[in-house]
Amino acid sequence: MKKLLILMMAMVLAGGFVFAGGQQEAKGADEPLKLVLLVKSLGNGFFEAYADGGKEAAKELGNVESIYMGPSTSTAEGQIEIIETLIAQRVDGIAISANDRDALIPVAKKAMKAGIKVISFDSGISLGGRTVDLVPSESELIGRQQVQLIAELCNYKGEVGIVSATSQATNQNLWIEWMFKEIEKPEYKNMKLVEVVYGDDAADKSYREAVGLMQKYPKLAGIISPTTIGVLASAKAIEDEGKQGVVQLTGLGLPSEMQHYIENGTCVQMALWNPIDLGYSSTFILEALVTGKVEGKPGDVIKAGRMGDIVIGEDGLSVMGAPFVFNKDNIAKFAAMFYELF
Amino acid sequence: MKVAKNFKTLMQKREVTLIILIVILTAVVTFRAPGFIKINNISRILNDTSILMIVAIGQFFVILTGGIDLSVGSIIAFSGMAASMMNQYNPALPVVLVLLAGIVIGAVLGAINGVLVTFGKVPPIITTLGTMSIYRGFTFVLSRGQWVTAHEMSENYMNIPHGHFIGISNLIWSAVIVVVLTYYFSKYTRSGREVYAIGGNKTAAHFVGVSKPKVDMIIFSLSGLLCGLAGVMWTARYAAAVNETAAGFELQTVAACVLGGVSVAGGSGGIPGVVLGALFLGIINNALPVVNLSPFFQMFIQGVVVLLAMFVNTLMGKRQEKSVLKRRCS
Amino acid sequence: MSDTVLKLENITKFFPGIKALDGIHLNIRPGEVHALIGENGAGKSTLVKILTGVYFPTSGKISYKGEDVSFKTAIEAQEAGITAIHQEASMFPELSVTENIYMGHHLKGGKIGALSWRQMKKQTASLLNRMELDINPDTLVKNLGVAQRHMVEIAKALSIDADVVIMDEPTSALTLREVEDLYKIVRQLKAEGKAIIFISHKFDEIFEICDYFTVLRDGKYIGEGRVADHNIDEIVTMMVGRSLDQMYPKSDVEKGDEILKLDNLSSDGVFKNISFNLCRGEILGFFGLVGAGRTEVMRAIFGIDKITSGDLTLRGKRFRPHSAKDAMRQQIAYVPEDRQSQGVILEMSIAKNITLPQIDDLSTFGFLHSKKEKEISVEYGSMMEIKAASWNVDADTLSGGNQQKVVLAKWLSTKPEILILDEPTKGIDVATKAAVHKFVSDLASKGLAVIMVSSELPEILGMSDRVIVMHEGEITAEYSRDEADSDRIIRAATGHAWAEGS
Repeated sequence: MKKLLILMMAMVLAGGFVFAGGQQEAKGADEPLKLVLLVKSLGNGFFEAYADGGKEAAKELGNVESIYMGPSTSTAEGQIEIIETLIAQRVDGIAISANDRDALIPVAKKAMKAGIKVISFDSGISLGGRTVDLVPSESELIGRQQVQLIAELCNYKGEVGIVSATSQATNQNLWIEWMFKEIEKPEYKNMKLVEVVYGDDAADKSYREAVGLMQKYPKLAGIISPTTIGVLASAKAIEDEGKQGVVQLTGLGLPSEMQHYIENGTCVQMALWNPIDLGYSSTFILEALVTGKVEGKPGDVIKAGRMGDIVIGEDGLSVMGAPFVFNKDNIAKFAAMFYELF
Repeated sequence: MKVAKNFKTLMQKREVTLIILIVILTAVVTFRAPGFIKINNISRILNDTSILMIVAIGQFFVILTGGIDLSVGSIIAFSGMAASMMNQYNPALPVVLVLLAGIVIGAVLGAINGVLVTFGKVPPIITTLGTMSIYRGFTFVLSRGQWVTAHEMSENYMNIPHGHFIGISNLIWSAVIVVVLTYYFSKYTRSGREVYAIGGNKTAAHFVGVSKPKVDMIIFSLSGLLCGLAGVMWTARYAAAVNETAAGFELQTVAACVLGGVSVAGGSGGIPGVVLGALFLGIINNALPVVNLSPFFQMFIQGVVVLLAMFVNTLMGKRQEKSVLKRRCS
Repeated sequence: MSDTVLKLENITKFFPGIKALDGIHLNIRPGEVHALIGENGAGKSTLVKILTGVYFPTSGKISYKGEDVSFKTAIEAQEAGITAIHQEASMFPELSVTENIYMGHHLKGGKIGALSWRQMKKQTASLLNRMELDINPDTLVKNLGVAQRHMVEIAKALSIDADVVIMDEPTSALTLREVEDLYKIVRQLKAEGKAIIFISHKFDEIFEICDYFTVLRDGKYIGEGRVADHNIDEIVTMMVGRSLDQMYPKSDVEKGDEILKLDNLSSDGVFKNISFNLCRGEILGFFGLVGAGRTEVMRAIFGIDKITSGDLTLRGKRFRPHSAKDAMRQQIAYVPEDRQSQGVILEMSIAKNITLPQIDDLSTFGFLHSKKEKEISVEYGSMMEIKAASWNVDADTLSGGNQQKVVLAKWLSTKPEILILDEPTKGIDVATKAAVHKFVSDLASKGLAVIMVSSELPEILGMSDRVIVMHEGEITAEYSRDEADSDRIIRAATGHAWAEGS
């Protein structure tokens, strides 16, 4: 596998040099824009899905070539090297999912000085190192959506428990805060969030806590687990306790790992940001910046194909939207995408 | 009179204090959560404790010689991952073979620990601290960071721990078999006796011709073997082989041993104590989620209960000492 | 000379399982060297620990300079002016001589109470100078030799302006010349009006340097008196509590055929050119100072330590053991010196301890025969008259004497033809000691060949058919039972054997 990585790296670099060679000659007017998606590392199914989104966007935009790159291990150094090469190649735009939000600033600035548009997505670069930072979603959207999902599953009534990661996990705690705000809305008047338990992202503890919830609340109607191991262990616990269909489950999980439970109905639907959409939107934003349709100021609106309008907010932050919902109909497709290629 | 005296000596056994503590703990929890002693919950607790019990027994033999095996969690993760992947890529392979493979892989990793301790002359705590990271690293390399989950496992694989035989799950059966075999090993075999001898007094054991390298190889391989079994059980039970499987589990196994009256200095302790120690921890683990307690208190309570149990244990130990004195002075 | 500086009345100390001291009286006067006499295990060391605040007496009264005191820590005793030079050097090898000497009573200087190392170094230098020692105060203790360490230990005791100095077997690791130096220091202290408690079981030393003595036996006070008014026999009788015949019941035995022979056996840096023979029915005594290499020779015969050159002949055949198992197969048994750390396994039952050397023979395919095991442990346990509630109690519930019997039973159960005993009676009570001697003598009379390593001269003289003396890794003398006397043996052990002119 390592060999394959090196081979890929070599191919990418070789391709780059060919580009660089071509670049020296005058750039034709009809030559496509070169927009790069630079990911944390190669060989990860999740990241590879970005590339699919980028290609999809390129096709829709026309006159855009989407290039997918990444270091073999997730280090900032590896990304810096690649950006240096990209500067030499004079690509038109780079969208980066950063391994370090600060370490990439100097090289990103250098790229911008050379006239390349730089944005970050998913895992952002600090202000100054990019024009726009595309955030996959935000706490409010995630939290509210989780409650909506479970409410749909248990017909807007009953007790719901939450299996979180550690009690100190900042993002989980924020999402949970929003869940509590969402459930106060009148349509959830017959629902109650009874307890938050912590599975510490360990299979055994999460399982035990999920079982504990079901024991403690015999009328439990649903479990929300906004963490990958948590939702997996909760699904197994519901199955083992024979409560499929009685206790509903939703959460944030990887499609490839949850396929079994989504297909057998233990977890009818769950959410996660769709990496394809991320690559797709990033490419649209880059194209808009490169062609000068927008400058990337707060308030600018970018028309991003099927994703609709993306608004650029304070500090260049923009939010893609609510997480993507996975269910029986689309899980197989996405699960396959999340699997590794080899 | 004689009965009273027998009762007193019985009370001084660690196993007995632990049983009493377990009864008290269960009573307190049941008072707060009445469903706690229902049959299906008891089987739930036993299922949940079986893996800890199996691994703690391996740990027990290592501690008995005065060593420690910090790599148990990583061996569980690796062998569990390896077995799961074997099942993932060859779903047709009989699961008995997969189970055996997991056990063998665990035993091999344990034997590597043994070789490092014996021939590398590295103390067990250092050796296993190193292999703890190495084996965890192997797990990542093997899985390429990916998980194996329910979808990729065959029904047969997931049924390894779940299958039943006369109403009792295979997981519990496997723990029972391990307990019985290791009890016999510790009590009635030459090697078992040698483990105690090395732990009790290395030099004295050397002088009677007991080979420490041999004993080290046996105990580390045994610990690894049991971790291999636990690894398959773990991944099949939770239908998930993740890279972080059983991280931090080594401390629980050590705690189970110490609770069970195993001296960390080596030489003393027994299988019944370890079984009860593991059971005690298992009950706490399962009780905490069902009693109405802020999750922020859980860790605190867990620590307090364990310390309390230890304290009662040493207190009983002191009383035992005194009674020996009395007996001898009279 | 008449006023008492330190007075102990009716001191008693219990340990779990042992009554270590029972009604001890002691009167220590300034300007006097007071010998505390008793066999190993008589309670001398425990008494020293009570005097220096390490242990707290269970009952009794200590008065010091006319006031009742109870030292709760070693520092308290030190500050009051009682200091001890311990039997086993209690030094910090990684620290310098100065740091060791002032450990626990650092000199402070300046306002903020920082340690004044300059001051301490100066005083250390003058102290070492006064003791006529050529040691640099900055040297790390690990770089010093055994004797030098001991002198530093003494210097440490003297660095406190003490009124009472306790010396616990101070000469055990010293050469003759160093012993002379020590005597000089003792006399100097005496002249300064300090009280000295001198612990030793070597009578030559007691008669040389001590003024007064107190005898302890089995933790009890036996008697006291002026050294000048008594002779050795009187003191030995007080110390042993029975006549020498009872203590050392050696029966005369016809020597059998030779069973073991060593020719120039050497181990690099440990011992060299060791040659002797051993016959059936014989008790061969091995005497020497600590570090003379006796134990190492025994370990080599038993296959534990390496042999670099020379030959071993066993029953007429060449024999080269590579492990304890090899030696055990040849019916050699080795009862090691330190019972607690090398002999008995405290956490194991008596029965399991006894059968441990034979578990290979007691098992088939690794499974033990419990019944046979039990038979053996009962047979040899009863033979050694071990006193215990049951054969299944752990060895740590037994007294030192009974533990030693367990170790002996363990080895006798292997039916040895050669029995090597290393300090067989160290630290056990007098009754058990006599019993052990009787067993050994009986066994020898039945044809067992016995090597007995001992540092106790009376034991060597009382029990041996022949005595071999070692000094610094070499054999310096060999005496028959008739030739052996304490003077000759001591001289040989200190490297002066051939100075006799013989």
